Amino acid sequence: MLKKTTVNQLSDLASALMEKGTLVAPVREDAGFQFREITDAKRVDLNFHNTVISPKSVFFPQTEDFVRYRTGRPMQEAEPVEPQGKPLILFGVRPCDVKSFEIMDIHFSGTGDVDPYWQARREAAAIIGYAFDLGAPAEPEEFYQTLGIGAADPEGSDIFMVRRGDDLLLKSITGKGEALLTGMGGLAGASADDEKFFDDTVAAGRDFKTRFTCVDAEVITKKLEDLFHNTDFWEKASNACLSCGVCTFACPTCYCFDICDETLFQQGTRRRVWDACMFTDFTLEASGHNPRTKVYQRLRQKINHKYSYHVRKYGVISCVGCGRCTRYCPVNIDIFSIVEEAMKA
Amino acid sequence: MAVSFQQIEEKLKTEARRLLESGEVSLVLAWGKGYDEKHPMPYVAKCPSDADGIVFNEYCTHNPARYLVRYPRGTKIAVAVKAADSRAVVQLIQEDKVKRRDLVILGIPVYGIKNPKTGELIDGKTTCGLYNPVLYDVLIGEEVHGQPVSSPYAVLAEYEAMDRDARFAFWKKELDRCIRCYACRKACPMCYCDPCFIDQRKPRWGEKSPEPAGNLMYHLTRFHHLAGRCIDCGECSRACPVDIPLYLFHKKVAKDCEEMFGQAAGMSIEDKPVLVNFRMEDSDKILE
Repeated sequence: MLKKTTVNQLSDLASALMEKGTLVAPVREDAGFQFREITDAKRVDLNFHNTVISPKSVFFPQTEDFVRYRTGRPMQEAEPVEPQGKPLILFGVRPCDVKSFEIMDIHFSGTGDVDPYWQARREAAAIIGYAFDLGAPAEPEEFYQTLGIGAADPEGSDIFMVRRGDDLLLKSITGKGEALLTGMGGLAGASADDEKFFDDTVAAGRDFKTRFTCVDAEVITKKLEDLFHNTDFWEKASNACLSCGVCTFACPTCYCFDICDETLFQQGTRRRVWDACMFTDFTLEASGHNPRTKVYQRLRQKINHKYSYHVRKYGVISCVGCGRCTRYCPVNIDIFSIVEEAMKA
Repeated sequence: MAVSFQQIEEKLKTEARRLLESGEVSLVLAWGKGYDEKHPMPYVAKCPSDADGIVFNEYCTHNPARYLVRYPRGTKIAVAVKAADSRAVVQLIQEDKVKRRDLVILGIPVYGIKNPKTGELIDGKTTCGLYNPVLYDVLIGEEVHGQPVSSPYAVLAEYEAMDRDARFAFWKKELDRCIRCYACRKACPMCYCDPCFIDQRKPRWGEKSPEPAGNLMYHLTRFHHLAGRCIDCGECSRACPVDIPLYLFHKKVAKDCEEMFGQAAGMSIEDKPVLVNFRMEDSDKILE
């Protein structure tokens, strides 16, 4: 089903969606765009390229409480935090980020061990994807096409949006999307011409060039395995690396977390908090031993995990080419340039 | 600027090659090619042929002095520095993290460095605003004179006009969006503690999650750990993915220190760090 509205009526669309569940959409903030829970429909803003932090934070927030307790009280009084399964609409997600959810599903529900917090939110969510603007060139940091992801791929979204001039075309992709679209007022029917435009955009999105040439995952994996002990290569690649956590935190497919007990006055919480393999204490063991004390070891781990171990273990590269790690790296390290260098090494 | 970026780059390459060929140093810290012209990156040349990879253009904002403490003591290092970067080298020498004799400082007087994210000229607003390095062995180019020199503290006027509550509200608002990626401390040439206090588990000084209490604890402590030590290169603020204006607080503390002790950080290797050095005539204002 294809419906349409106009970008000028975006807040009406947002209001209609807010009646169906919690709406999470891009909003403009001091530091750029971020996905936020919407309380004021007028704040939804689609004039963005992509958000600073990826939408993984909607299903896997940076801080997630598991148990709340009072210090000094018996353990039986501790209260577990139940997973939240209230209807959620995630609006305006770029195709590469939509793809990241599928990769994250492997870890949070796909291997038999199910993370109830991730799963509850994921199942309760309807995803409304949004095609990149094919009229403008890709940003220099992006390389989703290299990884086989189109700029307007509707797969993975429940509803997919394409902008046509001042019109916003919305097409249901799944049954969930169809039900959502059917139940919404204020949308106009689309013409056959709109249908054609939508399909053409999806097709053109597959050929939309980002900056790297396509490479085979299996070839990269093998090459990185061969390079593991080439310390010179990894030291050179990591000379500039500050070993901070920007790349990890901005990444849509990084899923590592730490579980810690945090207390403020007597109120204690056992919670998980995002962690980053680039942090020195990520691998610090209780004995005091740290198997990855050097920056090159940590960067090597990061690259290998995404482009080598993950392929061997799960058959897919754990990267969607959104370019956030490169865009926000304080020293301009470009992750895929390192992979390209590795191919040449 | 009489000397172009291109000329500086050529001179840097020549000097780096000479120093590596003669064996005077085992590595040169400078800038190299990034994924495009707007995004050069810190670069290490370890052999004469590596010198060809050196780049210098208007987007070379990074502070190579940050990397000095990464190498074992006694490593002979040539470090290319802009004005503020040279102050970091001086401060590190004062703090005995590096020895003067182990360094060859390649000083670059420069005007016109730009923030690649915003396109803005990097001047006294977000950095110390100096054009010429305060210490060097080899001058790359010519000293810059005649450019307007703005006070590095002029930008504080608005902040200082705020009362205590307004300042707290300001920092609370700014620091609330911190994601605790620690890019600020990692980009900082003076943040070399291992482990950083915030990573300590026993005692635990601040929480790991990016919530107001822990964010305030981390940033306020870091701001104060850098009192009299911050050399105002502005890298922390440029490194921040969520654009927190950290430089404002650092500038405020630097200004207070300068007023109280008559000394700015990293200006002379004869100085001692202000908060380490006790002098009878020191101001008591810090105790008020």
